[in-house]
Amino acid sequence: MSELVAKEKEVTLLDLLDRILNKGVILWGDVTISVADVDLIYLGLKVLLASVETAERMRSPAAAQCSTVNEQGETF
Amino acid sequence: MTALYLYAITDRPEAPVPAEPGLESASLLNIPHQDIAAVVSPLSTTEVLPAEDNLWRHEAVVEALMADRAVLPVRFGAVLASESAVLAVLATHDANFVASLDRVRDRVELGLRVLWDDNQRPATNNAQRSSSSSGRSYLLARLEEERQVRTWRQRAEALATEFHTPLTQLAAESTRQVLATPRLLLTAAYLVERDRMAAFQREVEALSAAYPALRFLCTGPWPPYSFVTATVVKADREERKDAYV
Repeated sequence: MSELVAKEKEVTLLDLLDRILNKGVILWGDVTISVADVDLIYLGLKVLLASVETAERMRSPAAAQCSTVNEQGETF
Repeated sequence: MTALYLYAITDRPEAPVPAEPGLESASLLNIPHQDIAAVVSPLSTTEVLPAEDNLWRHEAVVEALMADRAVLPVRFGAVLASESAVLAVLATHDANFVASLDRVRDRVELGLRVLWDDNQRPATNNAQRSSSSSGRSYLLARLEEERQVRTWRQRAEALATEFHTPLTQLAAESTRQVLATPRLLLTAAYLVERDRMAAFQREVEALSAAYPALRFLCTGPWPPYSFVTATVVKADREERKDAYV
């Protein structure tokens, strides 16, 4: 893998969240007995994902220490 | 009766599940239906929190599956009541799933963000309505601002197209968004053949060198989340009308 891609894989939590919480095959309604309430969290993250500051932070090793997002969309 | 947590729809239903543990460290199960399968694991609860370890665990399972079969990654958090509920989903949407699997087989998703310098953005909201200026001059100033923003956006579109186009030529499909924020010139995802991944990376590096004022952030390979979103399984009752704002 080239250096360009390998370097960015270190700080991919937000890229993961963008995909796993908002994309992929989406099941809803009667077929599921519960769906994790990801929509509100995603809306909060959407701002985070788009922000330049996040993209800047993504390049630092410190950003690789990921924070946890709770149900209220708060990070800690 | 335990609930079943769903990770992905796959082809090769006869392939053994990976050893990768799922949520709650449970073992994965294959639920086959003709030429496809749903990969699930038993869940002791009916609710799954999007906490970090659950998210990474889900992703690890999907990536392990991607190593030896075509995969439609399922959005995080889908819990079904039983094996028969899973089979009902597979049976109802079989043709849809098979078509989607055909589109993503042997392909990976590569993500790209390109940043540019923010001080190219025209200042807005400088047109102030004050008691001394006429309403007409205020409106003219606003019109001028909007014209500048439009020009700026057109410039962004043209520039983004310059490097997005060569990348689309290396991809089977792509998505793109220009100026999601003022500094994010381009946000894009590309569905690329596995054996073209190296060529794609070389092209990104070449573009990065050709546009030194821009910053290219490339991530991947990902399961094809961005290319299967159209496959949405709904119930007869519209219970989640408010879900997407």
